[in-house]
Amino acid sequence: MAAVSEESLKERIASGYLVETPEQMTDQYKADLVRILTVSADTELVSAPAYYHAAQKAPSLNSFVSALAIIQDEMGHAHIAYRLLEDLGVKKEQLIYEREPSQFKYPYAFDVPLETWEELVVANAFYDRAGFVLLGDVFRHTSYGPWKRALVKVDKEENFHLRHGEHWMRRIVQEPGGRERLQQAVDWMFLLTVEWFGLPDDLKKHTGQLSYGLKGSSNDTLRQTWLRTAVPLCEELGLKVPARYDAETDKYAVTCPFPAEFEAKNRRWLLEKGPVTWDDVLRRWKQRGPKNEEFVERIQRGYRELKMLNGER
Amino acid sequence: MAPGIEANQVYEVFARARYEDPLRHVGSVTAPDDELAQVYAKSVYDEWQWIEMIIVPRRAVIRVVQPA
Repeated sequence: MAAVSEESLKERIASGYLVETPEQMTDQYKADLVRILTVSADTELVSAPAYYHAAQKAPSLNSFVSALAIIQDEMGHAHIAYRLLEDLGVKKEQLIYEREPSQFKYPYAFDVPLETWEELVVANAFYDRAGFVLLGDVFRHTSYGPWKRALVKVDKEENFHLRHGEHWMRRIVQEPGGRERLQQAVDWMFLLTVEWFGLPDDLKKHTGQLSYGLKGSSNDTLRQTWLRTAVPLCEELGLKVPARYDAETDKYAVTCPFPAEFEAKNRRWLLEKGPVTWDDVLRRWKQRGPKNEEFVERIQRGYRELKMLNGER
Repeated sequence: MAPGIEANQVYEVFARARYEDPLRHVGSVTAPDDELAQVYAKSVYDEWQWIEMIIVPRRAVIRVVQPA
């Protein structure tokens, strides 16, 4: 199908022209685009049940409603990404409703249950910030025109989510015992967000996302972008995080063993065991975490029930 | 595919938030019919308080200049 050569496509991208239609892609470009869009769509989609699980612990009706508004935004973002996939010939319904839970491609962090309101707002401040950093980079740099335009809305709303998280963290930290409750959340959630950005650049095998300009910055660069605002926020609130600024390199360095082994059941990092390899991390990600099946099942349940009603299966 | 879920018709969504703005393409939805398409468009693309929103079935779109 691909009428364009790898060479002319790369030339097009290098001279700043956006790719607009499947006819303008090589098979490899399309495959890499489908992969990165699937991760984005799945991440937005699974964030909905993950956030809903904790939204039920909202301290008031107003805060519950604002948590629901965020969840609705995430569903909208998922819709946009799956809609883009559909225009690339991917079957949306199959992707959402007929894949096994373990086949979904979203960060491991969402498999670990958020159990309290504190954890939900830290998720807004950490996870939605990661989404904002990753998608903001795509928004500014991606070579795929339809995605770039679709992200105007997403960028605006993810920014609102992380402000929501920051606002609540500032408020909770002033309550009696508030800082301790936030610290407990930060203790397990911080490193899960640091690893969210994926393999370090020197270990990364797929380079298509960068060479095709699907995104603009490498994993390590984006991780630094996240640390650059997440760490000062925690420091301002008197929350301890295992990272500090190094003026000499102008970078944030993680000050504990990293990557590390995570005990999902107790939501605890086994730092006393020292660092593990990224292969160990990849294995944990592939096995998925405690809530993977439950959250995907929640998304797929209605579809199955409707199918049964219609006499299929 | 379960009947009632299948939504194979694509609708392009256009909207504007200010009177001085032109209608702008804001995205697309799929729906089995025009009525549901309106509901989907309104609930997915709720990022502004639009003063106008329209949807156009993609099959009705006639391309005059193709993106090169």
